[in-house]
Amino acid sequence: MESSPIRTIADAIAAAQPAYDTLAELAEDVEDEWSYINDLATAWRDRFDEVAAARSDEQVGDDVAAAIDAVAGEAAAVDDPHRAIDWLSTYPQVVLIALGERP
Amino acid sequence: MRFQDAAPDARAIVYAGIQADPLVARAATLLAGATHDQRILARAAMNGMTTDAPAWRTMFPSLFGPRAAPAGDPVRARSEAILAAALQVAERGEQVRSQFRGAIVESLTEILVRSRLGLAASGPGGGAAVRRERRILFDGVRAEIHPYDVTVEAAGAAEAIDCKWGARGINADVLHQLDDARSHATDEDERLTATLVIFDAERSCAVRLERQTAPRDATRIVGVESLDGLAGR
Repeated sequence: MESSPIRTIADAIAAAQPAYDTLAELAEDVEDEWSYINDLATAWRDRFDEVAAARSDEQVGDDVAAAIDAVAGEAAAVDDPHRAIDWLSTYPQVVLIALGERP
Repeated sequence: MRFQDAAPDARAIVYAGIQADPLVARAATLLAGATHDQRILARAAMNGMTTDAPAWRTMFPSLFGPRAAPAGDPVRARSEAILAAALQVAERGEQVRSQFRGAIVESLTEILVRSRLGLAASGPGGGAAVRRERRILFDGVRAEIHPYDVTVEAAGAAEAIDCKWGARGINADVLHQLDDARSHATDEDERLTATLVIFDAERSCAVRLERQTAPRDATRIVGVESLDGLAGR
């Protein structure tokens, strides 16, 4: 399915979410860390929501759109649950930096 | 309170070889003078999947995009050097790159602390000494098995610092060990600052700490956003 073009901050965060959800699902294979994984994902989703609420309709450039696509692709390539846990923290930081935000 | 070299076991000997690898020193030196975005680039690329440099440049428009510092600018040159070093780490095997990442965070911490104290990047200092892999001994207290990653050995201003790559590395053992050192020092009327350095976002560290019951109120937690504070910047 063709994804929607990324034109705004809201588009960018919406485009970033599915890869994050997939990372969280993969990370949950590490059962001992289930609570941490879910708390971590919730904390960063809240941060995404804050940025989306504050800058929703702000336009983003092609470079930012390409960055979101690229980092989502990188996250999608993670195939190890332990690395997925690390990326549950790394991924939102990269996304937010691309959007000009401090994590 | 006194400091002592850790007894070198097999793991320590192997790890010492990694700590001495020139790539560790190069990456740590670059990261010591890096911006926050450059440090996150290193974090992502060192534990990423692709080792394709153009892909990483695309992911970081603030460092390599049309609004970033132009080619030839020192900031851009540092971004390129950090990316190259991070990808060299990533190209190692999974186990080895994990050890490299840990060694780089420790070395980075040492450089920043030395900078604050006005000491050279390596070698002995004057009044204070910044050392690696040292145990701290207290009268009547059994020594901890694990040495501290970085210590500042200075009368009245000692520090015990442990370093972690990610927030997941925060656990009860490390929090107890740091707090024990501080409290044992207090028992001997010494002052020792306990610090945990984590090369990860403070938001993630806060989540990890939320579920920890080990004492941490007297331990300084330094996330990737606050690393420059180790250098007094």
